[in-house]
Amino acid sequence: MVSRHISGWLGAHKQPYRCPICCILPPYILGEVIKNGNAEQRAWAFQTLTTSEQFRGRREAVGRINFASPAGSKLRTIYDAKSSETLPGTLVRREGDPATGDLAVDEAYDGAGATYDLYYEVFERNSIDDRGLRLDSTVHYGDKYDNAFWNGDQMVYGDGDGELFERFTKSIDVIGHELTHGVTQYEANLIYYGESGALNESFSDVFGTLVKQRSLNQTADQADWLIGAGLLSSKVQGVALRSMKDPGTAYDDPVLGKDPQPAHYKNLYKGPADNGGVHINSGIANRAFYLAATEIGGYAWEKAGKIWYIALRDRLRSRANFKRAANTLVTVAGELYGQNSVEQAAVRKGWQTVGVL
Amino acid sequence: MQISFERSGGFAGMVMATDVDTANLPSEDAKHLRTLVEAADFFRLPTTIAAAQPDRFQYQITVTDAGKVHSVSVDESVMPGTLRPLVDWLIQATRQR
Repeated sequence: MVSRHISGWLGAHKQPYRCPICCILPPYILGEVIKNGNAEQRAWAFQTLTTSEQFRGRREAVGRINFASPAGSKLRTIYDAKSSETLPGTLVRREGDPATGDLAVDEAYDGAGATYDLYYEVFERNSIDDRGLRLDSTVHYGDKYDNAFWNGDQMVYGDGDGELFERFTKSIDVIGHELTHGVTQYEANLIYYGESGALNESFSDVFGTLVKQRSLNQTADQADWLIGAGLLSSKVQGVALRSMKDPGTAYDDPVLGKDPQPAHYKNLYKGPADNGGVHINSGIANRAFYLAATEIGGYAWEKAGKIWYIALRDRLRSRANFKRAANTLVTVAGELYGQNSVEQAAVRKGWQTVGVL
Repeated sequence: MQISFERSGGFAGMVMATDVDTANLPSEDAKHLRTLVEAADFFRLPTTIAAAQPDRFQYQITVTDAGKVHSVSVDESVMPGTLRPLVDWLIQATRQR
């Protein structure tokens, strides 16, 4: 039923389907796929729909120049939802405004700044869209909300319940993680389901942890490689939400259970929860990055980070699986640093160790 | 009435689950829970209500009542307002376990 709709529509235009950007399907067809398709088709259709919305938004942004900043100058805007779920909320801090004294507001501001600086100073990228998009964040979202997310337009942070979770701005890598979801949306646009979704998550953890390492001036062997360190309350038995170095070891608690991340492809989670395990299987790709970065040595953002960034920006497509991504990263490493270079060997070895290559 | 509930996803990616049987609840709570299921028009909801947004929660709910069984998978960002009170109740039940 679904495929007949799509082929019928494309047939009328006598054009092969190429990509969601150059050939945008009508929203009602995507709506049908969202209603009737299988899980992967639904994820693809929804993502295509939101990407189209993004592009419409982008065209508008060109007309409203005040939404974009010149290269190298950031435009951060922080809103306060005041425990509601209304976005964006009340404007509380604009670019250049002094600190407010509200920890969540100031952490969101500083974290977005450190993330912008990593992307601009290391990768020469001007914000999420590389065209100076304003960085919008909302803090104090919801009532004791144990989460942070990227809604397609902005970053959103909860305060945590205080019992198990602290506020989500407390770890700077969480901020880098959310902003990177925006970068991924504009670049490889990895479909948020299954292996491509786990790669989407892993890229967010990779650049999130690079923001943290750079802000602490740490080399790969000095870093803790933890995601969300400090987010778990003192009552919880655990050090963080994820470990890129040792996936599966971040926490083991009577209430929260045990960190479910696999460290090797043979233990890939194949169930339907968490959009096919996007936050679970990301551990495999995270560890591959950790292994490559420590093997190369020095600051992880300089070489390993660059290889991952170029792959995300120029090479990966939205349906990439682990194997495709691993091969792409090995290729990019060879192009940047030479065939059979130390860097390329490190990337290949990393993916071999986690069982993908 | 039996309800099986699971929350997955979110930034932390932790899976929380609980099973509730009205037979084991105080009668006031059992009555309240039935009201929430009726208010959601649960047995007529689509089996999948999806819109994958990065780091949002995903819920899987199965209700068994008087020989009927229905399962719904719903993403946080597109949760029907009528279903929200039931989900909030189940999250509380998960925490009190």
